[in-house]
Amino acid sequence: MLNVEQLTKKLPDGRALLKGISFRVARGEFVGVLGASGAGKSLTLRCILGLTQTDGGTATLSSNDGQTFELTTCKGRCQREARRRMGVIFQGFNLVKRLRVIDNVMIGRLAQIHPLRSWLYGFTDAEAAEALEALRRVKMEKYADRITGSLSGGEMQRVAIARAVFQKPSIYLADEPIASLDPSNSLAIMKLLQPLARETPVIGVFHQPEMTARFCTRVIAIKHGKVVYDGNPVLSQSQLEDIYGDELMQVLRPASAPVVDTGILATPYISRVEETAADLLAKQTT
Amino acid sequence: MLKPLLVFLVLGPLVGLSAYLCKVDLAGFLPGLVKGMEVLRFFFPPDWSSLREMVGPALVTVLLAAVATPLGVLLSFFFGLAGARNLSPTWLRSIARTLIGVERALPEIIVLLLLVAALGVGPFPGVIALAIGSVGMLGKLFADAIEELDAKVLESVATVGATHSQIIRFAVLPEVMPALLSNSIFRFEVNLRASVLLGAVGAGGIGFELQKAMALLEYERAMMAVLVTLLLVFGAERVSDYLRRRVLDGGKLA
Amino acid sequence: MNTTAAPLPVLSCVPPSVVFRRRTAIIVGVVTFVTAAGVFLNFKPWMLFTDFHHLVRLADEMIPPNVALLWKKTALYQSVAETVAMAFLGTLVGGLVAFVLAFVAAKNTTPHPWLRNAARLGFGVERATPNFVVLLILFIAFGFGPYAAMIALAIGSVGMFGKLFADAIEQVDPAPCEAVASVGASPFQVIRYAVIPQVLPSVVANGFYAFDVNMRAAIALGVYGGGGIGFELQLAMKVLRYPDVLALILLVIVLITGMERVSDLIRRSLLRSEILK
Repeated sequence: MLNVEQLTKKLPDGRALLKGISFRVARGEFVGVLGASGAGKSLTLRCILGLTQTDGGTATLSSNDGQTFELTTCKGRCQREARRRMGVIFQGFNLVKRLRVIDNVMIGRLAQIHPLRSWLYGFTDAEAAEALEALRRVKMEKYADRITGSLSGGEMQRVAIARAVFQKPSIYLADEPIASLDPSNSLAIMKLLQPLARETPVIGVFHQPEMTARFCTRVIAIKHGKVVYDGNPVLSQSQLEDIYGDELMQVLRPASAPVVDTGILATPYISRVEETAADLLAKQTT
Repeated sequence: MLKPLLVFLVLGPLVGLSAYLCKVDLAGFLPGLVKGMEVLRFFFPPDWSSLREMVGPALVTVLLAAVATPLGVLLSFFFGLAGARNLSPTWLRSIARTLIGVERALPEIIVLLLLVAALGVGPFPGVIALAIGSVGMLGKLFADAIEELDAKVLESVATVGATHSQIIRFAVLPEVMPALLSNSIFRFEVNLRASVLLGAVGAGGIGFELQKAMALLEYERAMMAVLVTLLLVFGAERVSDYLRRRVLDGGKLA
Repeated sequence: MNTTAAPLPVLSCVPPSVVFRRRTAIIVGVVTFVTAAGVFLNFKPWMLFTDFHHLVRLADEMIPPNVALLWKKTALYQSVAETVAMAFLGTLVGGLVAFVLAFVAAKNTTPHPWLRNAARLGFGVERATPNFVVLLILFIAFGFGPYAAMIALAIGSVGMFGKLFADAIEQVDPAPCEAVASVGASPFQVIRYAVIPQVLPSVVANGFYAFDVNMRAAIALGVYGGGGIGFELQLAMKVLRYPDVLALILLVIVLITGMERVSDLIRRSLLRSEILK
């Protein structure tokens, strides 16, 4: 379980990027974080992960094995222990391209083996079998021996998820996991994350409200560094406008059909973007 | 046609000055050339009978390079890690890069002379000199290769809770391995040539035989030594080219 | 999880234990080879520790470096100038000769295919011959000193750059050459107007690289008797004047690093000013 309280982050010149972000993520939840570009969504995640320093506030992780970590202040060993219990998925997949798929998955448990062991003989066959199980969950077990660099974007993201699963974390954090993927791959990834969330909470930053509306159990919206919405994943047109402002049109993906079988925004190619997307959305919410 | 004129105006004096400093004797060039040609006659035919005696020294030369190169690679790897901006604290990086730079500026022969002055002649200073000499080239190449790694990948491995050394083992090493291997194989070639040169100054091997023959004015024997050297160098070039192509085409991984 | 688990259900990949065995075999192989070679050579790595005091003693004699030498012995400046001049002229002359010969050694500009192979072989042989052999012959022909050393450097440059230039010529885009030929130009004109402009940037870049290499070579040749700072250095060593030796080494480091920067600067301003068309 993750508890974030009053997270603040300022630029050196005093301007505040995060102005007191607070929220909770509990068991069984699939939380989607929405917001315009630069609103602070990815920054919040990076602060939680300890990749960026904060200027105030706390982020507390209560892990499945009963330990508590204060993520904004822990460093070194404590930070490694905390990270070991967080499974992270990035937008750019960020896998080691020259290694095999199975090796990338096994990297997930690096924190759980002694460094000396990792230099001497690495992982055991038993651990490899478990890694294969993780790959089976994302339907990539046939690719275990392939070199990761030869995979497509969607395949690599699935491997990244397998790595997180292999880690057996207490929470999953995803930073725009589908932003670099085409619509059908995006759908596949969301369909993977949803059942995962039922056992272990998932919090993900997304740029696609139609996805969060369909798959998430809860949505948080961040605007100008503050949480402006926390609740029902389905947002109304006016709520979306409030969150995104001018960006709304790009975010709603008016182009390229047939997008997905979401049933929410199966929009054909549209030339006059401004009117039509708004119209469609109005149609859905009525 | 201003440009060629400009070039001449700049280069002209420089060439003139250099020629003066080098004591260039244009008048003596042709006679010198003739004399050189005459001397060359003494080198042929090469003394084939001495071939058998050259096998040992040739082996020594090759092995000197073969032992020095892995040692040099190992040393350079540590320097490379220390010299990389994304892995190493600033102070350590500056020290490492400066040392690498200093080493690069030193011709190997000077390193060898110093070692010989301290430790006497023989293979030991030769191996050490070649190994240290490799650090200049390989240390810089490794450090640059590591710095060019995608920071996001390293960050990603850090977020699973890996320690610094685990990140090096699982993210840095695999990505950098082809460049590492390829450059190391090339360095063996360089070290082989250097081994011949250093041999003349005391490291032993075919270089020493060559130098000895020249000093004793046994030019046919010297020619034989040159032929053996040619064989070694060409052979090494072939092998090195082949191995490097294999590595770069996607061979061994960490 | 029991780490000594027996054969696992069909792993559809190469299991870590196999990877581990392969990798260890390679490492053990390399280590064995190097150790065997070391034993054969009588290379005793522990000497580094047992004989370390020799190195300390040497260092002790060298420190503090006789830096005063640098301004007392004005002949040193001539030596430095000599070394630079050797490298400069050697690169220039060698580069010009290599440039001309490269056209013979390139597939697309050579008058006869066997000439091309002969030229390439010549380059290779020159590269493989240790340059002190060339130097010794030149000493006999031209006497000791920088003149012979400069010629040795020039010959060395031909070997090195003949290959590089020839490769560059071979990689030239044929389209402009055909275009120029199609208006009835002679082969020389094709070269002058289509090949040379394309090759010039790489030639200049290699030229500067050659100068850097030749600077180091000039010092090394100096040690063999070619003059310049290298000669001074080995002289100081012969008379066991170690503080002088260290001072000279520092001078060498400063010289080479400095020359590298200067040549880098010149190269960059040349590229910018577009003298190279």
